[in-house]
Amino acid sequence: MSTEKIDQLFNYVQERCLWQFFSRSWDRQENLDGILKAATELLTGKDPARETPMDRLFYADAKIMVQDFKARFPWLEEAGAAQIRDLMHGLKDRLSEIAITGSLNHELNHTLY
Amino acid sequence: MPMVLLQCDKDIPEREKHIYLKVDGEDTRSFLPISNAPTIPGTLSERGCSFCGAKLVIGGVLKDTIQMIHGPIGCAYDTWHTKRYPSDNGHFQMKYVWSTDMKESHIVFGGEKRLEKSMHEAFDEMPHIKRMIVYTTCPTALIGDDIKAVAKKVMEARPDVDVFTCECPGFAGVSQSKGHHVLNIGWVNEKVGTVEPEITSKYTINFIGDYNIQGDSQLLQQYWDRLGIQVIAHFTGNANYDDLRAMHRAQLNVVNCARSAGYIANELKKRYGIPRLDIDSWGFNYMAEGIRKICAFFGIEEKGEALIAEEYAKWKPKLDWYKERLTGTKMAIWTGGPRLWHWTKSVEDDLGVKVVAMSSKFGHQEDFEKVIARGDSGTYYIDDGNELEFFEIIELVKPDVIFTGPRVGELVKKLHIPYVNGHAYHNGPYMGFEGFVNLARDMYNAVHNPLLKLAATDIREPKQTPVKEAAE
Repeated sequence: MSTEKIDQLFNYVQERCLWQFFSRSWDRQENLDGILKAATELLTGKDPARETPMDRLFYADAKIMVQDFKARFPWLEEAGAAQIRDLMHGLKDRLSEIAITGSLNHELNHTLY
Repeated sequence: MPMVLLQCDKDIPEREKHIYLKVDGEDTRSFLPISNAPTIPGTLSERGCSFCGAKLVIGGVLKDTIQMIHGPIGCAYDTWHTKRYPSDNGHFQMKYVWSTDMKESHIVFGGEKRLEKSMHEAFDEMPHIKRMIVYTTCPTALIGDDIKAVAKKVMEARPDVDVFTCECPGFAGVSQSKGHHVLNIGWVNEKVGTVEPEITSKYTINFIGDYNIQGDSQLLQQYWDRLGIQVIAHFTGNANYDDLRAMHRAQLNVVNCARSAGYIANELKKRYGIPRLDIDSWGFNYMAEGIRKICAFFGIEEKGEALIAEEYAKWKPKLDWYKERLTGTKMAIWTGGPRLWHWTKSVEDDLGVKVVAMSSKFGHQEDFEKVIARGDSGTYYIDDGNELEFFEIIELVKPDVIFTGPRVGELVKKLHIPYVNGHAYHNGPYMGFEGFVNLARDMYNAVHNPLLKLAATDIREPKQTPVKEAAE
């Protein structure tokens, strides 16, 4: 069941989120770390930091994604904090694999933009 | 069913690595078309040159800048007025074209003196214009003309002018994409940070990768004005040269075309710490999402929701009228690169249209990752498609309408398939809420226009001498 739920979240991100496909692997990693952290906090009732410009960027992307998650996947409302953290961890693993470690994009690790 | 070798490519089998047919259960970890690679000998590419990518796409949009093209006259003419990017100052950039008109003797003896003379002539003829971009082209790059040295000399002679040089001859890269890159990086290296803007709002952005095609930037500007957001620089739609020198002062870079301008957004983040937010500006759903993200960044969500509600109330009924009549339409998108991933889901979600084939002239693998993630199974994804491939793909997927440029558009019209100008638009703007209704209207008019079917009927008298094909 958990795999199916991660699949649903993963398919949403693949289809909607441009931040997973930034130019270089370190940009993608930064987005994955920042946005999924903020999204996990929002889903578990916490208030993500909004102190730096990058904090506010991650918050903006996470906020809209979490709203869509809740609208499309009603089962999220019933999930506890620990389960949400597990799901988001699983989502991050899947996204890291397709966008970074398993990506066939030859430009991902070029040192210059 | 991964990569596809089309029948027409049997003698250039390398093309198989550039054409992908998506099937269920596959993703970009297994198959990703090769792209941003040299065109294979034997294929007739639809690509443009690198100089064109710098001048026609980005630099030439600026509304207060002389575009001095150091080369033969054709390089100037062929990158002038073929894109429709108006401006709010009387379309200065579309009215005039500048060239050093290099001839054989200048190539033999060097063209620097001619360039210097041309730059002075242009400034003398247009005394109200104080900004200029100088571009090398293939011949002037090959003979080694030092345009930076000439620009420096002219700026010393004229302290009130500023000149940017773009050394990107047509052969510099595999496609237009190299020109985007060279201009982006050159500009951030040499010009960003040299002007301080007047700040008039608590909320400031750069809007990057939007070229005011038929008024896109001007339409979106209405949204930013209503939200109280100051756009320091549009890169480069309806923009002034000096706006772009002040890009370092924005709080947020909002990126639409990540292919042509992602470079400068990345550099602004690296050098000045300005975050990069990528959005889609075409489509109702996407545009609303982009506005929500920008407003969430600034903490002005209520303003964003009010704007979206007003725009939906005004335009959604019109969009739905077209959706009812376009649902099930099969569409092909054969454009530069990013419009593939910007459009494939927006036309599906907002108009019920199914995209059956997409071809990119200059997209990189990043663009194919995006479009394959968003696009359907059963759809073809093509890098650097050629004419024969287009014919074969049309037979395979039978599109009802093709969004592409005039070159390929004229080709498909001969097959009596309607095309809509996917680069410069038919009757734009296409961005934003109102714009997407314009796109829907143009698609509806194209699909339902009876003329193409009538044109396919041969009304000649049967006794007329039959025309034989050359090969018969």
